Amino acid sequence: MSVSSRIVDKLSELPPASSLALYIDVNSYFDSLRALVDIFATKNDLYVFYISSMIPSRNIVGIFELLGIDSSRVFFVDTISHLMPVKTEYSDKFLYIESPTMLENIMLKVEYLLRKYSDKKAIVILDSVNSMAIHNDLKILSEFLHIFVTFLRNWESYMVIISLEEQTTEDIRNMLNFVTDEVLEVKGE
Amino acid sequence: MHRMVEIYRERCRTGIEGLDHILNGGIPRGNTVLITGSCGTGKTTLSLEFLVHGALMGERSMYISVTEAPEKLVENMINYEFFDKKLITERKLILVDLQEIYVKLGLEKLEFTLEDVNVLVSQIVKMVKELGIKRLVIDSITSICYRLTSKEQIREFILHLGKELSDIGCTTLLVSELLPSAQGYSQYGVEEAIADGIILLGNMERRGDLLRTLQVIKMRGTTHSRAKYVLDLTSIGVLLAPLLKGGSVEVR
Repeated sequence: MSVSSRIVDKLSELPPASSLALYIDVNSYFDSLRALVDIFATKNDLYVFYISSMIPSRNIVGIFELLGIDSSRVFFVDTISHLMPVKTEYSDKFLYIESPTMLENIMLKVEYLLRKYSDKKAIVILDSVNSMAIHNDLKILSEFLHIFVTFLRNWESYMVIISLEEQTTEDIRNMLNFVTDEVLEVKGE
Repeated sequence: MHRMVEIYRERCRTGIEGLDHILNGGIPRGNTVLITGSCGTGKTTLSLEFLVHGALMGERSMYISVTEAPEKLVENMINYEFFDKKLITERKLILVDLQEIYVKLGLEKLEFTLEDVNVLVSQIVKMVKELGIKRLVIDSITSICYRLTSKEQIREFILHLGKELSDIGCTTLLVSELLPSAQGYSQYGVEEAIADGIILLGNMERRGDLLRTLQVIKMRGTTHSRAKYVLDLTSIGVLLAPLLKGGSVEVR
């Protein structure tokens, strides 16, 4: 079974308000994005609120274009562009946070999107927990994820936390096991 | 056995969902609340939102400005997606320049006497009564207190104003300026003791990040959270998230 199918099938089993820790390897990154943003979100008519902490949002849009993924339903909460000399354009489509350490502001920007675009349910993607762990102490990151997952549950949003297998420490694994409802590991060929 | 029983008081919903949640439903109606903090912490924005939501809920609201021209305030409010200019034209939301009241009352002086204070309070209360105001913001109380010559006068002013407004069921926010280095919750140390409630807005530094925070220090007539929240000023209004516990240094 393909990476995309495994992810879509797993999410389809879960009711809204569920959270999933998604362990992927580098080879399955693009297929995972396709599964989440293109297939699952489109099929279920969900908004995608994409928290980017690894790659600037503009680059992710570039990846979507390369993969032929329609990004019209995607809104970014970009925590990384401000740290780099990247040109930023302010709109609801691209919300910027000064630093990935401003964890409360990530919650607030996602809440803003949930309130403003409340005509549909949403899937919130955190890409990735590993890059968040570079900038944040694991204790405060655990606290953040615990509160955030609970908060999203109240909004009946799906939450997918991406973790790159190669960069996943035991502490990160334990943290994700604690805060999420389900775990899925996929590997590309 | 003694048991604390909270008598439920009617609430004035601020319309800021996070704050109403913190306050267990809203500000007890008729309370006089100090909105205090240093510059750039969101005091005026929060106060204006309180008034706009009130006006939208059918409660006539009034903003008495000491420092900003009403036209400029309207420009700020236009950024709110829930703001309707009709609130102004239909006088559901009334913006008043305090300078005009001073001129009308002949109070264009640097220092007020106790008599002047009473004249000013009477005029504000008269306007609130005549216009049927349910929500009032005075921005800022510090600018008025600046003209008072003693702590006794400040005490008398706030006590007198608060009591009169409470008696007619008007919920009032008094915006108070704090210096970043200030101790306590108000510039003169008197305001905080007299007010029914204190909402402290601040800036908190954490590892080089500056976060806007909100904390309800006291609120008579309701149980409430005393925890610190992080606040974001957005086009859909003030949003609040719980402050994560981590090593932090506070900067007011």
